[in-house]
Amino acid sequence: MDAVEKANTERQRRWVKDKKVGEGTYAVVYQGREASTGRKVAIKKIKVGQFKDGLDMSAIREVKYLRELKHENVIELLDVFSSKTNLNLVLEFLDSDLEMIVKDRALVFLPADIKSWMAMTFRGLEFCHRNFVLHRDLKPNNLLIASNGVLKIADFGLARDYADPGYKMTCQVITRWYRPPELLFGSRYYSSAVDIWSVGCIFAELMLRIPYLPGESDMDQLKTIFRALGTPTEEEWPGHTKLPDYVPVGQFPKPAMRDLFTAASADTLNLLSKCLIYEPRKRITAREALTHPYFFALPYPTFPSKLPKCSNQFSARPLEEVDGNVEMNASGPGVKARSLKRKLTPDEVEDRRSIARRLDFSKHTPGS
Amino acid sequence: MSVAPANDIAPSNKKLLLYEASTQFKNWRYSGERLVHIRATLNKAAVAAIRVKIETDEPGSSKDVFFLTPDDEVLLVKLYITKIGQLCGFFRFPEEVEATAVTYLKRFYLQNTVMDWHPKNVMLTALFLASKTTNNPISLESYTSHIPKTVASDVLDLEFLVAQSLGFEFAVWHAHRALWGIWLDIQNLSDSMQGLTPEVYDAALNHVRASRLTDAELIYTPSQIALAAISLVLPDITSQWVATKQLNGSSGLANVLDDIKAMISTHGLTPDVESVREVDRRLKLCKNPEKVVGSRAYLTRKREEEMIAEEKRNKKLQKGNVEQDPFGNPLRQRKGLVDYDDDDDDDD
Ligand SMILES: Nc1ncnc2c1ncn2[C@@H]1O[C@H](COP(=O)(O)OP(=O)(O)OP(=O)(O)O)[C@@H](O)[C@H]1O
Ligand SMILES: [Mg+2]
Repeated sequence: MDAVEKANTERQRRWVKDKKVGEGTYAVVYQGREASTGRKVAIKKIKVGQFKDGLDMSAIREVKYLRELKHENVIELLDVFSSKTNLNLVLEFLDSDLEMIVKDRALVFLPADIKSWMAMTFRGLEFCHRNFVLHRDLKPNNLLIASNGVLKIADFGLARDYADPGYKMTCQVITRWYRPPELLFGSRYYSSAVDIWSVGCIFAELMLRIPYLPGESDMDQLKTIFRALGTPTEEEWPGHTKLPDYVPVGQFPKPAMRDLFTAASADTLNLLSKCLIYEPRKRITAREALTHPYFFALPYPTFPSKLPKCSNQFSARPLEEVDGNVEMNASGPGVKARSLKRKLTPDEVEDRRSIARRLDFSKHTPGS
Repeated sequence: MSVAPANDIAPSNKKLLLYEASTQFKNWRYSGERLVHIRATLNKAAVAAIRVKIETDEPGSSKDVFFLTPDDEVLLVKLYITKIGQLCGFFRFPEEVEATAVTYLKRFYLQNTVMDWHPKNVMLTALFLASKTTNNPISLESYTSHIPKTVASDVLDLEFLVAQSLGFEFAVWHAHRALWGIWLDIQNLSDSMQGLTPEVYDAALNHVRASRLTDAELIYTPSQIALAAISLVLPDITSQWVATKQLNGSSGLANVLDDIKAMISTHGLTPDVESVREVDRRLKLCKNPEKVVGSRAYLTRKREEEMIAEEKRNKKLQKGNVEQDPFGNPLRQRKGLVDYDDDDDDDD
């Protein structure tokens, strides 16, 4: 065997797959461990055989960026190896994601908790941007949470670098609800500001406990944004009517943010509105956000290990299993991918709610 | 891997810190001696292994074979570096793709030898991979249909091997980017503005391009190479700029720049076609027969691989039997169900 193949086999032997814990668009994720230490890891297996152009772009981006980015608030890629026609990424194991936490009705968020999640998100993002990497798919489901509460930016399958300002890029990125208006208008020369918009939407979602700007189509997304933040004027956002896909979607007045975020402090609303400034060049940067008064005012951010936690973790969640009630002819990867999407029944959510957090109800400020 | 003791220079401290955290800085820099050693070791091991295989194929036949030397290998790789440039011109790939593919090709041959893997094929895979890792992908179909005598499998079969050889480290820092940074910075020297014409920049860029034919990027940092390239065109302004930057270890830097300049002028030239042809002729006789489809060594290896695979399958079948038996299920019955286990097929 060639030295290179041998080295690959040795790497492969370092890791053991234990059980399947999830399935993404292009990968199956296993819980596993390091053979020598027992350290828990996640192994993301990407089937390459199915792509006619070889290693696919999502996998390549994820590997390329995670190989370089090492930061407390960015998911750590521990190893990469191939097996037959699969590419395997060994990632640090993370228990849950921010989407699960937001949706877990049993959990109560204090303003200090939200501040803590925001601080960790901005720290991780500042590091990415400092390294000229755009994430381009920030949403609660891609902010994973470690067992000690530390938040890690994950899923770099859409990331790219932007060392060349003024380089044409695709506008087909970022999940719709978190996509900034410049992308919806088809801008091809965007910047790190696109990620900041997404963070603004996540910030709002943490306070509201439901998605802030849930458009039903790309067109409706613009309308949803303008309804929430007012239709931008030429003065507010010079030149936006000249963007490639610009369409007028109606005139909406600018409502006061305070009306929706009733319990939020002035600092909170100030930072939130700076993340959601229409003109991308005026939008706050991750670096500026980290020195925003919001982070220095009381209450101080909650220590990560004290943050509300989902009791139902990735690994504990049951996959929708076969149980013999699958139709005999229902085989093939398409069916498998769909039927394996994890789902919790409402009862299970109820059962697994965290008793400890309920005690906090007394201190809770609704909607803050 | 050892790291060259050269001091780095960079337009900004911030960039420097980022570069020093990169996989390139950590894993892909060598001293000149170390490169010689690595290539000699790889070459020696390959020759020994291939000699054995040629002997098994046809006893006594290996003594007439003139194996490639490490220098022969470097020469052949160099020719294919120039081919990358031609293909990039044809596909109108940006400079980033070309520079990245060249780096991949060089890194590949620090883990493998030309006698096992011909650079003609590796080059095609490296370029295709680089087009993807730099975010300039094109479909494999349009890629291969524009390259004579090439089919999809020629490119795909080696993709994993190339990616593995790169340690799945795809990000590369390039001298042509550093050149642009230094160029902008030099314009801040008050009295140097005249003389900084686009022609001068292009001349410096051509020196950076020539450096791709050398080992410079495996020894020095992108900004050192870029600075050497500028200094070949604008020696005075460059020293002035270096002085104003008060870079630590400036005397060491002067030596580094001299080394790189010498490398560019002596090795940064397209190899002479005749000598490459001679190497390629010899390669036909000394390449690893295991990798020549149809040869006896190739067939032997395939047979061995199949036996191992067969054994694995049998083991799995038995394991399956043991698990099924307690329930009295005939093995077949599960077949129609969604086979969740097929994802684990590489776990044993
Ligand atoms: N590091 C990890 N630790 C634990 N579980 C993980 C980890 N990464 C992913 N998972 C699990 O695997 C699932 C699939 O992850 P992945 O990021 O590949 O896809 P996704 O985010 O669900 O879907 P998409 O590819 O559409 O973004 C996740 O939802 C999660 O349940
Ligand atoms: Mg995801």
